[in-house]
Amino acid sequence: MRDLNLARSADDRERFPVVIGDAGARDPVVTLTSLTKRYGDLVAVDELSFSLRPGTVTGFFGANGAGKTTTLRLLLGLAEPTSGEALVFGHRYRELDDPARRVGAVLESSDFHPGRSGRDHLRTLALAAEIPSTRVEEVLALVELAAAAHRRVQAYSLGMRQRLGLAGALLGNPQLLVLDEPANGLDPAGVHWLRRFLRDFAAQGRTVLVSSHMLAEAAQTVDDVVIIDHGRHVASGRLHELTGGERTLEDVYLGLTGGAA
Amino acid sequence: MTAELRSELLKQRSTRTGLGLFAGLLGLVLVAMLLHAYALPARILDSTSTQLMVFGRGGFLAILFAALLGALSITSEIRYGTIRSTFLVSPRRGRVIVAKVWASMLVGAAFGLAASALAAGVGTAALRARGIDVQLSGGDYALLIAGGAAAAGLWAAIGVGLGAVLRNQVPTLIGICAWLLFVEGLLAGDIAALGDVGRYLPGAAAAAISVQNADTLLSPVVGLVLLVIYATVAVLAGLLATARRDVA
Ligand SMILES: Nc1ncnc2c1ncn2[C@@H]1O[C@H](COP(=O)(O)OP(=O)(O)OP(=O)(O)O)[C@@H](O)[C@H]1O
Ligand SMILES: [Mg+2]
Repeated sequence: MRDLNLARSADDRERFPVVIGDAGARDPVVTLTSLTKRYGDLVAVDELSFSLRPGTVTGFFGANGAGKTTTLRLLLGLAEPTSGEALVFGHRYRELDDPARRVGAVLESSDFHPGRSGRDHLRTLALAAEIPSTRVEEVLALVELAAAAHRRVQAYSLGMRQRLGLAGALLGNPQLLVLDEPANGLDPAGVHWLRRFLRDFAAQGRTVLVSSHMLAEAAQTVDDVVIIDHGRHVASGRLHELTGGERTLEDVYLGLTGGAA
Repeated sequence: MTAELRSELLKQRSTRTGLGLFAGLLGLVLVAMLLHAYALPARILDSTSTQLMVFGRGGFLAILFAALLGALSITSEIRYGTIRSTFLVSPRRGRVIVAKVWASMLVGAAFGLAASALAAGVGTAALRARGIDVQLSGGDYALLIAGGAAAAGLWAAIGVGLGAVLRNQVPTLIGICAWLLFVEGLLAGDIAALGDVGRYLPGAAAAAISVQNADTLLSPVVGLVLLVIYATVAVLAGLLATARRDVA
């Protein structure tokens, strides 16, 4: 299984529009190969291929409805691709052993039972993943939610929910973080904190895939960029290569997706 | 599997849903017993079979609430989106469903035990207070309570399976209530009127386990076996429905 994936990723290197990183050196953290998802006539994700370099933050950009969330759902085994495949650490997500210790993900900021406390929410996840409850307290402290942890989630602000979601993703101390618009609802201090956090995370050799519409903010955070439009790959590569050091990420993005001059 | 089961048991404990259902169940049992014991004419309440039928209302209400509890264990996760983090942590979805079945069966059986015991206790006391002789044996009481627990546990499993298939919370809960209160509720009152088929329906099979009545119900053992079959089919359908379908 592992050998097969390595062989294919080396083989696919030429076919990828841009292959980011040293895919042959070790198992790529994430590899999408011609990933496609159709909903009836609508092609939400269209032959999408890219891979992620370990130890980097990759920004995943595209207009509303471009297919970002769908791609992440396919990657995380929540939805089945129509064709193609998405591999995490060389495996389909649903075949990973102990996924919580390898991958942490947040797709929606509101995925909580309103009547359950933040702490109990994390405990249910920790029990399922066989993670000790001391770790629950650690991640609560990390996202600065310890004081509100006993309160029911219905009393949380949007930013607090984002933090709780992130705490859940971090429970297993994973090697890969997948975040869908995590800065949504965070206050300026929270955005700053998140940027620092993601940079530190990647500096430890771990990997982040983060979708966002906040290009100016993202440009300060990401190393690599993947841009999609109507489910299709538009551009990918290192941020500084795309911008050439002169244009802003926003200019590049709007130019490529036909948004404006 | 035990990890998922522990998680499911904490999910059950950490919201007020379970406690609210339990309180509602006991309240309804109390009301139902007092209504039956005081509203029915004494000469009807005199017979053992009527007494069993009346006390069996506790178990009947328990299967309804246990089914709602089981269904909620999956539909509320879908409604509030926690199903996403649940499946991210436990991508083997079958294990999650099976853990929900066991957890719901456990809580459901406790519902059945408490409701049947309360019904038998309050019912007996109310009849005696009215001067009506209660001729049930210790074995009758034991069957009422143990059978009520088993029936509610199995109906909790049916609820999980149904919730996993239907997924949408409100239709699922309404469906369960409509089935048990209207369709089978008629049968529970007067099964013979609807012919022989009625006794093979899942609500009647549940009643058969604890309420011995050869005229209208299957024998307890046959009722139990039949209900196990219904629960197994429901759980298998839920497993199938969950295995491949996309999570929104
Ligand atoms: N379950 C579904 N059934 C049908 N169509 C869907 C489904 N999920 C997504 N789509 C469609 O697929 C397309 C991509 O949606 P997706 O949510 O992936 O976009 P997105 O890039 O995340 O957008 P946004 O920036 O607004 O979050 C959209 O046209 C959407 O309507
Ligand atoms: Mg989206």
